[in-house]
Parts: sequence; C-alpha cells; structure tokens
Amino acid sequence: MEDENILEFKHVTKQFPGVVALDDVTFDIRRGEIHGICGENGAGKSTLMKVLSGVYPHGTYEGSVTYDGEELKLGQSSIQEAMKKGIAIVYQELTLVPTRTVGENVYLGKEPVEHGRIIWDKVYADTRAILTQYQLDVGPQAVVNDLGVGKMQMVEFAKALSENAKVLILDEPTSALSKAEVEKLMEILRTLKQHGITCIYISHRLEEFFLITDRVTVLRDGKVVTTQPTKDVTQNDLVKYMVGREMKERFPKGNRKPTDVVFDVENLEAVDPNAPDRKILDGVTFNVRRGEILGIAGLMGSGRTELVTTLFGEYGMISKGKILMNGREFKPKSAREAINAGLCLVPEDRKKTGLVLIQTILRNISLPNLDQFSQFFRINSNAEMQASLQQAKSLTIKAPSLEVLAETLSGGNQQKVVISKWLLSKPQVLIMDDPTRGIDVGAKFEIYRLMNDLAEKGVAIVMISSELEEVLGMSDRVMVMCRGHSTTTLSAAEADKERIMALATGVAVA
Amino acid sequence: MNISTTTFDTKTESLATRFFQSVRRNIQSYILLLAVAVIWAIFFFTTHGAYLGPQNLSNLFRQMAVTSFLAIGMVLVIVTGSIDLSVGKLAGFVSVVVAYLQFYVWFKLFPDQVILPAILSVICGLLVGLVAGVIQGYIIAYGGLPAFIVTLGGMWLFNGLLLLVTQGKTIAANQPVFSDIAQGYIPDTWGWVIFALIVLGLLWNVFSGRRSKQKYGFTPRPLYLDLLNVGVVAVLVFAYVYSVNNYKGIPVPVLLLAIVAVFMAYAANNTRFGRYTYAIGGNRDAARYSGVNIKGIVFRVFVLMGALCGVAGVVLASYVGYGTIAAGTGYELDAIAAAILGGTSPLGGVGTIHGALIGALIIASLTTGLQMMNVQPAWQFVVKAIILVAAVYVDVYFKQHR
Repeated sequence: MEDENILEFKHVTKQFPGVVALDDVTFDIRRGEIHGICGENGAGKSTLMKVLSGVYPHGTYEGSVTYDGEELKLGQSSIQEAMKKGIAIVYQELTLVPTRTVGENVYLGKEPVEHGRIIWDKVYADTRAILTQYQLDVGPQAVVNDLGVGKMQMVEFAKALSENAKVLILDEPTSALSKAEVEKLMEILRTLKQHGITCIYISHRLEEFFLITDRVTVLRDGKVVTTQPTKDVTQNDLVKYMVGREMKERFPKGNRKPTDVVFDVENLEAVDPNAPDRKILDGVTFNVRRGEILGIAGLMGSGRTELVTTLFGEYGMISKGKILMNGREFKPKSAREAINAGLCLVPEDRKKTGLVLIQTILRNISLPNLDQFSQFFRINSNAEMQASLQQAKSLTIKAPSLEVLAETLSGGNQQKVVISKWLLSKPQVLIMDDPTRGIDVGAKFEIYRLMNDLAEKGVAIVMISSELEEVLGMSDRVMVMCRGHSTTTLSAAEADKERIMALATGVAVA
Repeated sequence: MNISTTTFDTKTESLATRFFQSVRRNIQSYILLLAVAVIWAIFFFTTHGAYLGPQNLSNLFRQMAVTSFLAIGMVLVIVTGSIDLSVGKLAGFVSVVVAYLQFYVWFKLFPDQVILPAILSVICGLLVGLVAGVIQGYIIAYGGLPAFIVTLGGMWLFNGLLLLVTQGKTIAANQPVFSDIAQGYIPDTWGWVIFALIVLGLLWNVFSGRRSKQKYGFTPRPLYLDLLNVGVVAVLVFAYVYSVNNYKGIPVPVLLLAIVAVFMAYAANNTRFGRYTYAIGGNRDAARYSGVNIKGIVFRVFVLMGALCGVAGVVLASYVGYGTIAAGTGYELDAIAAAILGGTSPLGGVGTIHGALIGALIIASLTTGLQMMNVQPAWQFVVKAIILVAAVYVDVYFKQHR
C-alpha cells in the first residue's frame, strides 16, 4: 500500500557560513497534490528545492527527507540520481538547447540507441506520445528557438515527464509568461494532476496559488510558518505570514511633485540593426517630467524593451523622430553616452545584462562609476568602497559584506545592486524595465518606496511593467504601447485596467 | 543566527574568522606555492641539494623570464575571454629583428658605440611588438574576427617574416651592453640596496594605505597583521638575494620581470582598464550596459600583449645571444599553460598576474629539475604533461568542493 505522503521533510536544517538557510523545516507533501510554497526572497524556498533535487547531497544538511516511504539519500552528482527516482525541477531559467528540435531536447542524454546509432523515429514518436498524453501543444520537430517562452516551458515539462517524473518542482514558472500563457500553464498542471503527478509550485504571484494549489506552505527566515489547505486562507493571510506583519497596502503612497519635462521622445522610429528592414519601433511619442513616475504598459512583444534599449543606445537604429534631453537633441550611440547624458537603464534581465555575477557586489556597483573614483590612472579604492557602501546601506542590500559575489544574492538583492550602481551615476532619467520581476512582496515594496524617494528628489522615472496593478499603483501617467507604437498617455485618473488592456490589444484607438 | 541582518560591519568579525576568510580567498595561490615547495623538495633530495644551490636558483628564475613576460600578458587576454596564439612567434620575430639590426645595421652606422645600439635595439624591439599588437588588436576588436583565427594567422605570418629576416641562418646578438639585459647581474651591494628599497616600499605602502583608510572612515586591520605580511615577503626576498649573491647577484632579467609584473598587477587591480578587462570577461553584455567600451578595451589588451611580446623578444635575443629560425617556437603554449596553471579561467573573468608567475615558476622548476636529473627529453615531456593536467585537476577539485 502506498503512503498518503509522497514527501516528508523532517527537521531539515541547512547552514551556510554565517547563515541558517533552513531551520528545522518539517512538513509533508501528499501524493498527487499541487502544493504551493511561498515566502520572501531568502526565506529558504530555493535552498529547500536544492536539497530535494540533490544539488545539496545527503549529509550536507541535517534532518531527513522521506520520498515514497524511503529516506532520500542522494550522493555526489545527484541531480541525475534525483531525476531517476522521479524528482524533476522545471527551472525558472529554461535549460533547453535553443538550436535543436523539441524531440532532441526531450531525449537529450537518453537517446534510444541501436548499434551505436540514434533511432530518430523513436525519439520523435515517443516525444509525440508524451506531448499528446499531457496535452502539450508543441510539435516534436519544431526548433526550440522558434518557440515562445510558454511553449519552451512545455518542452521542459515533456523533458521531465519523459523521465517518468512523479514529483515536479516548478520554480517561478510564470515569471516570464503572458496572461494567456499562464492560463495555459494552469490547464497543463490540472492535466498533470489527473495523471497523478505531484507538483510543488513556487511563485511570487500569490493569486496563482488560489487558481491551482491544494495546499500551501509559507516559509519565513528558513522556518515553516504554516501549511494550510489553500481554500482556508486568503491572499492577505499569505502576505501576513510571509512578512510576519500585516501589509496594509501593496504600493506605498508617494508625495511626488512632477515639475518640468526633462526627457522628450517625438515620433521615434527605429529598425533592428541586424535586419534593417525589420521595424522595431513605429512611432513612439512620450515625455517624462522631473519627479514623475511614468508607467509604460503593453503586452509582450509590443516593443517596450526595444524602446528602452534603443533610448539607452544599445539596440535599435533610429531611423526617424527625435529625442530631447533637457531640451537638447540627444542621439545615444552607446550606453556610455546615455549614462553621461544622465540616462540610466535597469535592464529587464538582471543576470544577463545587469550584473557581472562572478564579481563582488562592490565591483558591480562601482563598474559604471569608476571615473568618479579615479585620479589619473589610479582608482581610489577607499573612495570607491565608501561610496558603494553608503549606497548599499541606504538600499538595505542584505549581505555579509560588499565582497560577496553577486551570484550568491537573492533576486531582490541583486536588483538592489543594479539600482545602487545607477544611483551612484546620479541619473536625471532612470528607466526601469520590469524592475520587480521575480522579486518577492517585501523586496517589491522596498523598490516601490525607493522609486518614490528618487522621484521626490527630482529624478524622472520611466517604469515598464507587465503587471497592470503595478503600473496603476505606481504611475503618475501611463503610456500604453501596442505593436511598436505608442497609443496614448493616460493620466492616473484616466487609467484603469480595462482601458489599458483595450489600448494595448489594439481594441481601442486613442 | 538570522539570515536577514544587514551586516556590512567587518569589525564584528573575529580575527580568526577574517584570517580564515583571507586564506580561503587566496587558497589557490597557497596551493600553487605548496606545489612549488613540493617540487623543489623532491628535486632537492634527488639532486642531493644541488637543485637549490645558488647557481641553479639563479638560473631557474632567469630561465622563466621570457615566458613569464608572455604569461603576464596572456592572463589579461584570457581574462577577456580571448586567446593569443601568436605571442611565441612574435617574440621570436622580435628577437631576430633585434639581432639583425645589431649585426647588420648598428654595426655599420655606429661602429664604435656600445650603449646607443643597445638602446636602439630595445626601442625597435618594443616597437615591432607594439605595432603587431595594434594590427592584431584592431582586427579582433574592431573587425570582430575571432581572436583564435587572427592570432593563428599572426603566428604563421611572424614565422614567415622570421624566416625572411634570418634567411635560414643564425644571427649573433652579443654586443656587450645588449647582452647584459638578460645575461647581466646586479652587483651584490646593489642587490642589498634593492632589497632595502623593496622593504621600504612595502612599509610605505602599508602606512599610506592605513592612513588613507582612516581618512575615509574605515578601520584598518591590526597593524601587526600588515607588518607580518611585509615580514614574510621581506624574508623571502632576503633569502633570494642572499642566495643569488652567493653566485653572481640578482639577474637583470629577473629584476625586469619583477618590475613589469608589479606594474601589470597594479594595472589589473587599480586602474579602469584593469577593472573593465575583468568585467568584460565576467559578463560582456553587462559590461556593455554599464558603459564599458568593449572594443576599446579588447584592442588595448592586445596592444599591451604585443608590447610584452616586444619585451620578451628583446630579452630572448639577449638571453640566447643570437637570433635563430626556431626562436620562440612553442612559447605561446608555455605562456597559456602558465596562465591556466596559475588559476586563470579559460572561460574568462578570472585570473591573476601573480598566479601566472607561479605557474611559470612551476613549469621552469620542472624543466630545470628534470634536466639536472638527466632525465631523457622524452620522459621530461611525459612528466610535465602529467603534472600540468594533475595540477589543474587539483585546482578544479578544490573549486568544486569549497
């Protein structure tokens, strides 16, 4: 007879030098349920999943994990071992080989072989079987590069399911998905559940727990706060458990007083520098004032990121229109020029373009600002340390010292490092591309507060966001993009969800 | 016992923790130095002490000089995520150009001079290296061609030019002053003066560093730790100077190497150029988005590499006393091996100048030791191969199990 619980964590404690990442974690996961896990960044979610998937092998932590009635004892190089036992992770960052087909990816490393030759027909037939069984809407021969993020995720699922996974761990599966893709994902999860597969669902988007999970466990500071059936709790309860206090409002009230226009974009058109016949911006007009937060809304692929990287001098080739900074024409040809002109960009993907992960916090913060600390050739390392430390402290970056590598920080703290480096550059216009993506509730709130502070000090902030509530909660005005062009700029009073969606989808014309 | 405290206050950490942290941070260097010690100990016993005698110790460092100049530059090239295959043949080409000028040109132009031809030789050698670096760097950085291919082309080109210059013959390069560059020795007294200057320099560095720290409101670490550091270095330098003074004195090329290495290590850590180099290797896109001029920095790294090839070529010509058709053959791989052995990551972003020097020292130690033991050249290669791969394995092992 099978146990009711497929997984039991008993008194799991994991210590790092100076930090207890998991503190006596005890809870269980039932066979076939979808179990949500939430908590702030650094609460221990990722560490717990690393224990489960074998990144931290047996013996590097205290306590025990029971899987399918037996204690889980994973050795070195145990990620494959965990997979063989049926525990698979679908990572936040997708791990597919982009230039190969779906089938090749699903069977990568376990290709069916006959006399040393791969039986491709079987690869594709088996892939098709898995895709159909779980109603994953992807063709086995499609090249991964051509798929959207949502479909790539389906391939990740297929990959895990081809290993006969019994437990699937989903780490922030929706952070890069559009609304429609999220709905599709929920459908897939329900199908998986019907097939008796257990899912552990980690997310910062609390509303998703109520769509899909049976029970939810809240972690805080490495401890389990509670495990409850989802139907017995509310979103506010979860937030309360996560932060240990009641969060009255999600968006802090600012006291912003926008003054004169500092940055002005008029009818901007730009093309892809690698394919000059492809237009990426097709008439964008907006302005932003000192002390103002301008929200930019729009669907995935509406050209938001292309717009801001072009303004930063690092992407599109401007073919028409003009940009005015302080009333003077500004033609950015590189990030350096943009920074010198007072325009900084907190990029969409902090790991790819925001941080040098293998370097220390200090080196990351000072990187664009070394001119400030240099006399002739020499960098004054004390001045560098002093300024960076002050910035890190004022943003409350949580780390034992600035000599810690950026890759060891949680998402929220990494984002604070990116913001710190730009604040040292004293920007007049700070563009933030999805600044709270993949960041927990507490850190989000801090970033909002920081944006308010900056705006109150006279910085013009341009914020792109995929979350409508964030756009509405933080912006003084909202510019809506649709298929590469700006539709209109709404005042805070005019803006509401329906109106923005209508403009973004092209249903309504401004 | 709290994961969410903000502690930027290093004062609260005990001395012992800080000591261990510093050991852990530099574990790689210590392991490498340990490897040198083990190798020396083995050869000390197998050669009945002769290996660490004054003459051999003097030669050991002299021998590693040429590849070390190349290895120092190679560190920065590899740190940017690149490679330079042309350095051996470029240094070789420089050495035959220098020999040619001495033998055929200066001799006729300034028949009675000794100092002027030596100076001109050095300048011309450095210029040839620099120009080669400019050309290759320009093609790689601004032309966007892969460094592997461009410098492989460079290697062939310089080999061809080398053969054209020598016409297949060996050209002498043994004017007295020029020979001193790699064959000269610093007189004993001056050796001790240099020792004293080094100690004074280190002390000045400690005290000015502490003053500057205080000025910016940081608490310097306890004085005795700083002094202990200086003391350890002073003892090592003392031992070296004492030992080589028992032979002929500090070899000039070793002094040159030390000066260039200190200069380059300083540039790597304390200048914008150095910081940008590491940032590019760590994450090219993030560096670009932070306003780093990627092309400009990559270009400069190759120009610097070219200049160092010039230095290496001049020292090489002086060291062997002539320019030959085989000059510099295989040096590029020695330089790459020294850099990687010294902890430079082939993936870019990580690597130190002093690491490369220790790497070069390990290779030179093995070569001289095996030669002294009269091991057949064939077996020398086998032993060096095993040690190279094993050393990098140990390094990788420690990185994974830290």
